[in-house]
Amino acid sequence: MQADATEKRMRELMLAALDGDAAAYRRLLAELTRYLRPWFARRLSASHVSHAEDLVQETLLALHAKRSTYDRSRPFTAWLHAVAHHKFVDHVRRHAIRPTVHLDDDAPIFAFDDSAHAADRRDVDAVLTQVPERTADLIRQTRIEGASIAEAAARHGMSETAAKVSIHRGLKSLVRRFAGGSK
Amino acid sequence: MTDELIDRLTSDLKPTAPRALEKRLWLALALGLIGTLLVGPLVLDLVVGRPLGGAWGDSMFWGKLAYTIGLGSLGLLALPALSRPDQSRIWPLLFAGALAMLALIVGTLGWMQSDWAMPVLMGATALVCPWLIILTAAPLLAVLLGMMRSFAPASPTLAGLAAGLLSGGFGAASYAFYCGETSMMFMAVWYSLGIALTALLGAIIGRYLLRW
Repeated sequence: MQADATEKRMRELMLAALDGDAAAYRRLLAELTRYLRPWFARRLSASHVSHAEDLVQETLLALHAKRSTYDRSRPFTAWLHAVAHHKFVDHVRRHAIRPTVHLDDDAPIFAFDDSAHAADRRDVDAVLTQVPERTADLIRQTRIEGASIAEAAARHGMSETAAKVSIHRGLKSLVRRFAGGSK
Repeated sequence: MTDELIDRLTSDLKPTAPRALEKRLWLALALGLIGTLLVGPLVLDLVVGRPLGGAWGDSMFWGKLAYTIGLGSLGLLALPALSRPDQSRIWPLLFAGALAMLALIVGTLGWMQSDWAMPVLMGATALVCPWLIILTAAPLLAVLLGMMRSFAPASPTLAGLAAGLLSGGFGAASYAFYCGETSMMFMAVWYSLGIALTALLGAIIGRYLLRW
């Protein structure tokens, strides 16, 4: 599960930070910011989305000031979730904001991050290893990065038609491989 | 903005010892207990005029000691979990309530056997007993709540309640050394009331002081 990998990574960073490792601490805070921002934004109505950044900062400050209350034998993500949830409830009450989700709704923080779907990108990279390298490059450039077929073909020193055929064959073989027999 | 904050927090990082929360609690408990134990000779003896060991040698002295330390220990048992944002431990508090009920039942049976005699219930100090227990417990409660401001309780009220139960129990144990009452019913009513009021005081102060 991805959540367990996240827990493991975050917990290692937190334990290193508690022992005084500033580099690990910086990475932890930076990474948490990416998870917390969308988590807060999703629970605020459109008119209050601007509060998400404040909440991220309040949560980081609380993590810093209250880090001695983290029990090293317990999951870090659960502790952080409790801190973030507490800060959210506190903020909402103080500003008399009507949240978009019920206060008791405990959606996990670590289900999404906002770094342009890093996990999806990893999946795409894994899938593209199944076709020849040049074909994979062409597919990535035209279908993901938004280059035109002419540009991509020029980059690889091939004709536009050959590039088209290569992309088409590559996608077809990927579909055959991953779409399964159900279609 | 957030990046600046991260810079600032990173440069402010100091190592945190394992079990730092428990260590701070023990420190607060030790310091607070010194204060609470000093209330005995300085206030109860010199000001109120209660010499040490009023119930010395009576079996009820040990009963009072066991009852009050038991209640205080239940508060101590709940405190570390209630001081954290992601944990909760209510059962010691419920257990304390059950223990007080049990003491009241046993006390009432004893009172019944002595034919509902008023002195068994009221002794000679019933009306000052709860207040003096709060007074004796106050230094411990103050030190505990002060230390707990650096914690992050999921419920500040419950954390304050546990601190109050702990202080009330140990404060009452300290008070028992200067108390001459030897009736079970007296302890079940007035000691329990003093400890309960201390716990309530802790909950009310905690609700505001322990916010984070």
